[in-house]
Amino acid sequence: MMIEIKNLKKIYSGVTVVNVPQLSISKGESVGLVGNNGAGKTTLFRMILDLIRPDTGEVLSNGEVAAGNENWKTYTASYLDEGFLIDYLTPEEYLYFIGGLHQQSKATVDEALLKLADFFNDEILKKGKYIRDLSKGNQCKVGVASCMLQNPQLLMLDEPFANIDPSTQFRLKNMLKEANKTKGVTTIVSSHDLNHITDVCDRILLMEKGMIIKDIATNSSTLKELENYFGVGQVFEEQVVMDKVDEEENH
Amino acid sequence: MVFSFISHELKAFWRSKNTGKSIAIRVVMGILILYLLLNVLVAGFFLDKILEHAFPNEELIIPFCGIILIYFLFDLLMRLQFQELPTLRVQPYLHLPIKRNFLVRYLALTATLSVFNLWPFVLFLPFIFKVLAPDSGTVVTLAFIIAIAGFTVFNNYLALYLKRRSNINGWVFLVSAAVLILAIASDFLWHIISLQNISYAFFGRLLIMPALAFLPVIIAVGMYYLNFIYLKQNLYLEDLTAHKASSYKSSTDIPFLSRFGSVGDLAANEIKLVLRNKRSRSALVMGLFFMFYGLIFYPNPHYGEGYKVFVGMFMTGIFIINYGQFMFGWQATHFDGLLVSKINFSDFIKAKYLLFTGISTVFFILTTPYVYFGWRVVMIHFVMYVWNIGVNTTMVLYFANRNFKRLDLSKGAAFNWEGVGATQWILSLPLIITPFIIYGPFALLKHADIGLALVALVGITGILTRNYWIKVLEADYYTKRYQIAEGFRNK
Repeated sequence: MMIEIKNLKKIYSGVTVVNVPQLSISKGESVGLVGNNGAGKTTLFRMILDLIRPDTGEVLSNGEVAAGNENWKTYTASYLDEGFLIDYLTPEEYLYFIGGLHQQSKATVDEALLKLADFFNDEILKKGKYIRDLSKGNQCKVGVASCMLQNPQLLMLDEPFANIDPSTQFRLKNMLKEANKTKGVTTIVSSHDLNHITDVCDRILLMEKGMIIKDIATNSSTLKELENYFGVGQVFEEQVVMDKVDEEENH
Repeated sequence: MVFSFISHELKAFWRSKNTGKSIAIRVVMGILILYLLLNVLVAGFFLDKILEHAFPNEELIIPFCGIILIYFLFDLLMRLQFQELPTLRVQPYLHLPIKRNFLVRYLALTATLSVFNLWPFVLFLPFIFKVLAPDSGTVVTLAFIIAIAGFTVFNNYLALYLKRRSNINGWVFLVSAAVLILAIASDFLWHIISLQNISYAFFGRLLIMPALAFLPVIIAVGMYYLNFIYLKQNLYLEDLTAHKASSYKSSTDIPFLSRFGSVGDLAANEIKLVLRNKRSRSALVMGLFFMFYGLIFYPNPHYGEGYKVFVGMFMTGIFIINYGQFMFGWQATHFDGLLVSKINFSDFIKAKYLLFTGISTVFFILTTPYVYFGWRVVMIHFVMYVWNIGVNTTMVLYFANRNFKRLDLSKGAAFNWEGVGATQWILSLPLIITPFIIYGPFALLKHADIGLALVALVGITGILTRNYWIKVLEADYYTKRYQIAEGFRNK
């Protein structure tokens, strides 16, 4: 079992933002996390990564309690937001630094980066910019690259598709699939893009108000099911609701 | 429209996240400024006496006219360093149907609302009314007031223009301050060039031809329009934000540190942090300023050895104090990243020790020229250097575990109160007092040497038992880390 969550709860000023009684993710699974803004996806990620103290419950990573433990850091790579990047370094310096933490020489890092050349699309390396001067999309590329560099067994990305261009989205999807299918990396990815997430992930977790309300294995009808939940394609019904509201306001 | 702008600014002030703190800070700043203003007022009131004392052989009016230019040069320098640019606030209005001219005029005119524009009047008006008015009559008095007002406004806009055009950093300030001091020295000491004569050439003539007073007014208006035009041409987001298209940033290595493994890598990163961010850089430059601290005390035998202990601690440890007090806030923007990376906290702490030891060593070497005041001074400096890397580092890091305030590294350090909280005030007490608790009693009993030896001994013990302290800090950190990370996420 890669990740096991027991009775996990986080409450901010009286509002329960995450409430997951039980969740298991086995090794080699590819899990997609979907849900509207404020559903608790990022908070859940942060608790799995021991960045936030849960109010109750615990997260087991590879059978060990994650909180206060350092072991999971050796096999877990993650990128949630720009706060994960050291912004006054150049991308090269940052990637060498991350490689160095995993005892990789510069040559090893260079070799690994060579494989990412397509993904970088000539916008990251040898540009003479600090990470803080890159666009959000390019910062995301650096973050994802640093994850790949670490050869993780567990990879966690929070909305990686949000800021990157269509070609990079396509390449990222392929990278995620390849990592999962050929290297057996367990991936946990959140996204608002239902097409991408159903394409990449074999299992979808749907969050609403901190709870996981659906846990489904991806098949041909999953996308439809999710679209129905999020109300995509219900333009007409929405219109009707809006009209009703207008009428109410008129009275 | 002007009123809604003003009301927006008031709201921005009252509704900002740390309003409570910034009011407290503003009260403190206000009192400080009032106090300074009062000082200047007293100086202005007794300017005639001061000048009389300094230039006993001359008629008062001559040195008075002579110092005005020197004053305004200093004024310009101070403005360049401390006056704030009123820019970013217009950003949300740029896309709205508001005339550009109006926005620019608002920006340019509100720029005159600065305390800096009060100083010259407070300093010079009393003299003008006391000495000049009875002697030379209303017209000349008015001419002087107009001329000084003109130069003040001119300086105001010149400083803003220069600040907008180029990034004035601490180094430029250091160099131009040195140049100015040299120029004044060459005036008063060596009599090579005379700023006084240049100043008198204008203000002296003002006595005869009061109409000349319009000259500064004309250049002030000219400067205003230069500002106006420059602002108008550059009223684009990319020009308003701090980072402009800049030079090629190369990747660098610090080979000396790479031999320390991942501890060295972390220390190297932090050195890059210091050098590549505005606020940390200015903390370092301020530290370099402190290298002159000894010059205030050492030439005067009136100050005893206790001052040397104090000054020595500051000069060799200023970086530890100045930079360390905000730890780990410097890394707030990427603290989450550090937490999930494969970094041991003990390595993280060791890197801080390495950084502090390295930079304190450099600062100690920089203070060695004080050997001019005797070998004993260097010896005291060395003892305090040992104290700094043995005791103060650990103390600073202990308080770093209690600092939950994020820092914005892109802003300057001068008069920047962001990230200042109770921690910093509490921290400064033990830092300053502890060495004196050890040294003081012995010095009072005329056994200063024993006191110094004890200070050194405690310092050395601190260095030798570092590994123990690292464990203590680590255990302490584990109880605090969620709180630290949480605080750093709050922008």
